[in-house]
Amino acid sequence: MSTVDEIAPIVVHDSARASRRERLRLVLRSRTFLVGAVIVGFWVFCALFGPAVVPDDPYADDILNRLQPPSSEHWFGTDRLGRDVFSRVIVGARDILIVATLATVLGTLLGTALGLVTGYFRGLTDEAIMRVVDAFLAIPIVVIGLLALTALGPSRVTVVLVIGIVFTPIIARTVRAAVLSERELEYVEAARLRNEHAPYVLFGEILPNVLGPVLVEFTVRLGYAIFAIATLSFLGFGIQPPAPDWGLQIFEHYGLLGAGDWWPTLFPALAIATLVVGVNLIADGLTQAFER
Amino acid sequence: MGRFILRRIALALITLWLLSVIVFVACEVMPGDVARSILGPTAAPETVEALNEELGTDRPVVVRYADWMAGIFQGDLGESHAFRRPVDEMIWPALWNSAKLAFLAFLLVVPLGIVGGVIAALHEGRAADRAISVGGLSAAAIPDFVWAVVTILVFGIWLEILPVTAQAPPGASFLTRVEYLILPALCLVFVLFGYLARMARAGTTEALDSDYTRTAVLKGLPRRTVIRRHVLRNSLLPTIAVVATQTGYLIGGLVAIELIFNYPGIGRLIVRAADQKDFPLLQGTVLVIGVVYLLATLVADLAYAYLNPRIRYGAAM
Amino acid sequence: MDARQHRLDEVRRERSEVENHLIDELSAGKISRREFVRRGTVLGLSLPALSFIASACGGDDDDGAATGATETTGGAQAGGTLRTALISPAGALDPLTVGDEGGLATLGQSGEYLAWSDDELMLQPRIAESWEPNEDGSVWTFAIRQGVTFHDGTPLTAEDVVATMEFHLGNESNALSALGGVLSAGNTRLVDETTVEFTLDAPNGNFPYLVSSDNYNLIILPKTYRGDWEKTFIGTGPWKLETYTPEEGVTYVKNPDYWDTSRMPLADKNEVKYYEDEQARVIALQGGEVDVVSNFSVAGGGALLDDPSFTIIELRASQHRKVHMRTDMEPFTDKRVRQAMALAVDRQALVDGLFEGRADLGNDSPFAPVFPSTDPSVPQREQDLDQARQLLEAAGMGDGFNVKLESWQGFEIPDLAVLLQNAWEEIGVTVELQITDDGAYYGDFTYGSSRWLDSPFGITDWGHRGVPNVFLSSALGSKGPWNAPHFKNPTFDQLLSDYVAAFDLDAQRAAAKQIQELLLEETPAIFPYFYFHLAATKNVEGVEPTGMGHFDLSQAGFTT
Repeated sequence: MSTVDEIAPIVVHDSARASRRERLRLVLRSRTFLVGAVIVGFWVFCALFGPAVVPDDPYADDILNRLQPPSSEHWFGTDRLGRDVFSRVIVGARDILIVATLATVLGTLLGTALGLVTGYFRGLTDEAIMRVVDAFLAIPIVVIGLLALTALGPSRVTVVLVIGIVFTPIIARTVRAAVLSERELEYVEAARLRNEHAPYVLFGEILPNVLGPVLVEFTVRLGYAIFAIATLSFLGFGIQPPAPDWGLQIFEHYGLLGAGDWWPTLFPALAIATLVVGVNLIADGLTQAFER
Repeated sequence: MGRFILRRIALALITLWLLSVIVFVACEVMPGDVARSILGPTAAPETVEALNEELGTDRPVVVRYADWMAGIFQGDLGESHAFRRPVDEMIWPALWNSAKLAFLAFLLVVPLGIVGGVIAALHEGRAADRAISVGGLSAAAIPDFVWAVVTILVFGIWLEILPVTAQAPPGASFLTRVEYLILPALCLVFVLFGYLARMARAGTTEALDSDYTRTAVLKGLPRRTVIRRHVLRNSLLPTIAVVATQTGYLIGGLVAIELIFNYPGIGRLIVRAADQKDFPLLQGTVLVIGVVYLLATLVADLAYAYLNPRIRYGAAM
Repeated sequence: MDARQHRLDEVRRERSEVENHLIDELSAGKISRREFVRRGTVLGLSLPALSFIASACGGDDDDGAATGATETTGGAQAGGTLRTALISPAGALDPLTVGDEGGLATLGQSGEYLAWSDDELMLQPRIAESWEPNEDGSVWTFAIRQGVTFHDGTPLTAEDVVATMEFHLGNESNALSALGGVLSAGNTRLVDETTVEFTLDAPNGNFPYLVSSDNYNLIILPKTYRGDWEKTFIGTGPWKLETYTPEEGVTYVKNPDYWDTSRMPLADKNEVKYYEDEQARVIALQGGEVDVVSNFSVAGGGALLDDPSFTIIELRASQHRKVHMRTDMEPFTDKRVRQAMALAVDRQALVDGLFEGRADLGNDSPFAPVFPSTDPSVPQREQDLDQARQLLEAAGMGDGFNVKLESWQGFEIPDLAVLLQNAWEEIGVTVELQITDDGAYYGDFTYGSSRWLDSPFGITDWGHRGVPNVFLSSALGSKGPWNAPHFKNPTFDQLLSDYVAAFDLDAQRAAAKQIQELLLEETPAIFPYFYFHLAATKNVEGVEPTGMGHFDLSQAGFTT
């Protein structure tokens, strides 16, 4: 049982329960959280309204105007097929946010369920499942992604499934750790004494009290998901052309850096970086709030 | 302590076995006719069928798995279909290369990360803390392949002070070989620094806030001594955690960096194996990196337990 | 003038019917001097004889084609170690199975062929000194050079040539992709110590190409060869193996006993380094890790093309993309629909955008402009959106239709797919792209288990060949194993066998003209372009790459 990994994401078993409202207030006052929220909010806006507000059709090629540097006409320049990089970066937010969010939600739902069950029931099933989890964790996410996408063929759906399933054991771990400390507490005993059924105890009593750590895990994993998806696109798996996916754009253009055409690579890279930073700042803000 | 070690090892072995099953099954699911991938597009269908029979690719999964496991216990990982060489012959050099790069990266980033984290913790909330935390976070948010391209461009092509590939020519001296590894190691430093510093910072903060430290300071011990004796030790613990988990990334997960720097590491080998549907090579490599990860976490757990007596006696499970 | 004319007449008398015909074409100005020399070498005429005849007839000089190998201005120095970046071989280095660029270029360094198909598609004699067809081109006799030794000291004889051919034919070698249906096992006969006779399955005017470096598996091996080429890299070439590090590269030293003293290597050592990734190769040249990049694409090599410190070698070639439409499946059963799809494409824009002009326009047939047998008088199809829409209307598809285009993520294929998708949108055809990886697209390379051969609509990449035979018979012939459009046209098959049998350039062109016109009419596939082969060097002269992917460094040396 790897004790080490439990420390890695800082999850706190809080004994002094601040009320939810107080926690919310703390979160909203945290500067870290706010900065992160603004950044992520910007990208969410792009994801929702991007196609309506961008100056050019992100799919329209203009091959004779390929690789034009940034100008007043094309703020981020044009890519190698003559498409407007600015429009593609803005519209690209939609794909990655949807895929990353869905994947993380999937992983969180499955992982929480798995963590609740194994944490509560312990025993042999718990041990067995944790071993399987450990086995999965031994392989880098890129490798698993690669294998799965080679087997199943690259598509958005496959990417969501693969990343979601890869995250399940990781999230399960964290939830399990939280459940382990919760189950010893009085209110759980009380529920059992009342002869409540296990599902009720699990989902009705314990779950609401571990939501904090779950939420933090969700945001941390979201950051990793964005990263993983970009890397898989970069390696040529995952999202297909002509989608304006950021990782795919970098994949298609990074070779041109040597030729001095930096803009089709830099702007998608900055987009990925700012989004990941934003998500991580939100995660940090939430962690701080739940630490009290 | 002895029982703890034995228990950990036993669990690791079980996990290892499960890993082998997962790896084998994953390769089963992949499309691709084995004999065809060996013989190429021009071979006649009859020849392909004959080779499949000879290789026994139509036997039941369980039988083939048993065969493979039996081979492993004898030290035989099979033969690569595409390259017609024993799999272990291809794996060990690649593994060694990845290990060299990982070692250099850790050598650079661990001290930097610890120092950064401790400084950030000591100046909590102030400028230095913000700079280190946000800087580290931003650097880590940039994908490793972007760092690779940027550093090659800056240091290799514009400034021309470092080589643009990672593998030194044969016969090069030790120092030259290190020189070739600096650029990829630098990329890894950018990627890992943030996480490491954050861990060190958290550990330091926790130690600084702990009862032990407060008592020591109240008792009149100079802060510096307290930091040295207690805090540093505590910031070391999360570092071990990071080293262990990141070993998994560095040995096998560095696919993009190995490709761009043309470095014959094990990540690159996995991609080649997957590309060619070369199952023996694929199974062998994935199993090996899994083993490396499990070993790293085992060693880390043992080190952790040694340093932190609370864990040793089963308090947290 | 008279004396020369007299000598020319004598020469003519000694030559066969076919050869005389070729000379006639030259005198009549029907072919250029370059093409005359090229066809002449295929027929087995020696270069000096050809030069003499050409000058006697006052043939045309070359039409403007892309520059060939770097001219050796004599600035190349002896000595040093040449370092080349080559794509990693995709499998074992076994002459029987090599099927990729990294493998073939490696075979060609230390191994040698009967003839070398050079950067201008001319055949240079190597292990074969000369060759000759019989009257109808069904039997070819090759004279094997004397004084050639393998790297282990054993002398080469005609027996080794026969043994090598039989070895490949009897072991389902990859060489069968070119020799299948042309030469069968048992038909390579040892006439004497220095002569080999090939009896073909059917007359074939381009046979010598099919046993040249174009058929890259056919390096001549000792008759005692049983396998394990990777251990010795045995061959008769100008470079000898020094060390081989799998995954990393090969170091060769010059072969002091090489038979061709006029082509003894200038450099002392030849280091070939393997790189998986094209970017890594380009970066290596920029960073000074290597001196030569043997093959790069416009998309990946922008940095090299724009920088005058690199010398770019550009060769016209026949490598192309084929956009097939299954003639036996909706929506492409009506040829008007296929024509419409072809007419929607702006080929010049593709060439300019994807290759910066470094490609020839394709005219929907495998007859690339670089082949001498291509008839240049066939009009080039151009974009015509109105006509395309009319044809769709006439075929009952006036409201457009939806179709899925399949291919894989390599080279410029994804970009081509996107550009074509947009072009077809203009005529009301909505194309959905399914671009996977090459394993998924090619599958098992047989009908029924390969998207390439089963899909109604797909893009396939075809590498360079010195003659279009494979493109025509395997990929468009009714019985061809690689006929993705499922094109079954008896007229085409007949014209095809006429073309294959002809070795008189006139007859080849006549058959080609008819084939080209038939394919424009039927349009089983769109051939948008034939792109050039690009290589780059820095401070090195005398590098001779070929469209196939080989590169000859025997005459290469540093300039500074």
